[in-house]
Amino acid sequence: MNDGWLKTNTFHYSEFRDVAGLVAAKQKKGLTISLCLPTLNEERTIAKEILIIKSELMLRHPLIDEIVVVDSGSTDSTREIAKTYGADVYEANDILPRMERYQGKGENLWKALYITRGDIIVYLDADIKNIHHRFAYGLLGPLLLHDRIKYVKAFYDRPIAIGKNKLRPTGGGRVTELVVRPLFSIFFPELTQILQPLSGEYAGYRDIFDQIPFPIGYGVETSMILDIYRRWGLEVMAQVDLDRRIHRNQDTKALGKMAFVILKTFINRKLELGLIDLHEKMYDEMIQYNLVREEYKANITRFEGHERPPMIGIEEYREKFFPETTQGESP
Amino acid sequence: MEGYLNRIPEMVEQIRAVRDTIITNILLIGQTPAPTFREKRRTSVFMDRLAEFQVDEVTTDGYRNPIGVIHGTSAEKPPIFVVAHLDTFFNKDIVYNYSVGENTITGPGLMDNTVGVGVLVSLPFLFQCLGLRFESDIVLAGVIQSIGKGNLRGIRHLLKTWEGPIRGGVCIEGGELGRLNYFSDGMIRAEIECSISRSTGVTHKFLPNSILVLNEIINEILKLRLPQRPRSRIVIGKISGGVDHGAVAYEATMGLEIRSHSDRIVKDIYKDIQEIVDGISHEDQVDLKLSTISNLNATRLRYNDPLVKHSAAVLRALGIEPVSDPTESALSILLSHNIPSVTLGVTHGYNYYEEDATMEIEPMYKGIAQIIGVITAIDSGVCDE
Repeated sequence: MNDGWLKTNTFHYSEFRDVAGLVAAKQKKGLTISLCLPTLNEERTIAKEILIIKSELMLRHPLIDEIVVVDSGSTDSTREIAKTYGADVYEANDILPRMERYQGKGENLWKALYITRGDIIVYLDADIKNIHHRFAYGLLGPLLLHDRIKYVKAFYDRPIAIGKNKLRPTGGGRVTELVVRPLFSIFFPELTQILQPLSGEYAGYRDIFDQIPFPIGYGVETSMILDIYRRWGLEVMAQVDLDRRIHRNQDTKALGKMAFVILKTFINRKLELGLIDLHEKMYDEMIQYNLVREEYKANITRFEGHERPPMIGIEEYREKFFPETTQGESP
Repeated sequence: MEGYLNRIPEMVEQIRAVRDTIITNILLIGQTPAPTFREKRRTSVFMDRLAEFQVDEVTTDGYRNPIGVIHGTSAEKPPIFVVAHLDTFFNKDIVYNYSVGENTITGPGLMDNTVGVGVLVSLPFLFQCLGLRFESDIVLAGVIQSIGKGNLRGIRHLLKTWEGPIRGGVCIEGGELGRLNYFSDGMIRAEIECSISRSTGVTHKFLPNSILVLNEIINEILKLRLPQRPRSRIVIGKISGGVDHGAVAYEATMGLEIRSHSDRIVKDIYKDIQEIVDGISHEDQVDLKLSTISNLNATRLRYNDPLVKHSAAVLRALGIEPVSDPTESALSILLSHNIPSVTLGVTHGYNYYEEDATMEIEPMYKGIAQIIGVITAIDSGVCDE
């Protein structure tokens, strides 16, 4: 395997600390940049993400042009708090309302393409406990300073929060190491150079994102990497060390569900590419067992595996962003 | 004097207008752990923020206290020190997860002293926004090793090694808004450790219990007669020991503070407690050790000191009624160096020493305005009178 990419396309956020330099590069290229935060009940963390990014990368340095929150129907105060601190807040169901409604992170990311206006879009998870503006400028650095790079993914040291506010210094990334990395090693060894393929922080040019499909759930990160790799190759991708990100620890059963969806997404992509044959149908249900009153009870979770098509094929999107093109015709 | 007093209430709106950056500073400082003796990471954040705000000099002193210096317009005027302690009560292994609501911020160490430090690093930005220049250099110091066994070592070292006179000082604490400290009590903070030998034999027919031994010491301390004037008191603030409900406790520790307006009385009370400890140790045949963790001398400005008067006027101009109590903090070190100084609180809050310490956002704007008002007063010469 050629591991040259790891050396040439891996950066550290500190290489892009000169935010004024990034603003100059952005202005020279005549670009606009949008930040999208997908949310579902994130009232504890949403305000600080908005505040820090807005203060440092909008008010003090005009690097980011808009902050957009796309919410999946939070039942807490996420939307109200986000509005209080100045984000543009949308409910996913209100965007492109003629389309069938789905709920999931991938759905929010996909719909964000329609409501944002940036040439570059930065996606950050809304549950980052140690948010810092490096999460945004670190991802934007390679895109603004290296013309060949169109998509940037984050990696970091991942301490995990355990119990009530206790921290374990190492850990996390279990689905990556137990599911994604073995799959990449078997089928796409080159992609193993992406150190944290499931990280929820990435940025890229609109004309990359609007040409790829978005699974509505957990599989969105895996499919995004596979689709960009297939269409444009590894060279357009980069990864940035963001130092440290503290995240919620999920129990094994929740990770099992995540692994189920990722595996399915992966197999579907392989089938589409004609790289494998499947002689039996795949099921949509993840079956886990719980011991309830000395009896094992099946806990079945259904994952339909819905996927949104490339946004470029959506008529409303083309009307908004490419009004000069003929209706129904891709630009 | 009247001129800047009138201007202070107008500042509140201007400060509110840059809310996002002030809260950002509080968050960036607060989510970086800084237990006493392990403040290195927060020191870096502190210096990074000052550098981002184009502070003229950003450095550390020989003790690694991070310092920023904003150059003044006059080379003759001595500098004004603005100080906030960097360290927190919490250890490094908890999640410093800060949460911002519509009207409040919550997080461990917030009120003591993330808010103070966050506001301190915001000052250069606020001075720029308000168009303020000062004659004196403004020295912004985030002092390390303040709490508990730190014994205010950071500020002690900073002042001991600072060359040249200092015009005046402002210490910033998270809460409460309205505090105007200008004197500190003499204080000795001490620990009593009780240890019971695990060996049985002729020494003890029945093993003593270290918790009960400490209880006996507490009873004896409570019998001490303390003077009403100078005002003096003993605070028994901590006690821990034992391992299980049904097992004799071999080890126990208690922490206490002796405070008085008079240093001599503090020392006398300490001697009394030493005698109690020695007596019980002898009679109960247990190992008892009294040790000093930290100490401060009583220092004070007079109430009619120009700095105190002007500071009170600044607070009142903002509709805040000043409340004055003694404080055991950096203030006492500044005053002991004959630097006229006061301590101010930024906002209202609660659960100070819990992981969910919470501050109110809205009062903070007045809290910041009062700090800028007092700095302006010092710069206009109230400490030179």
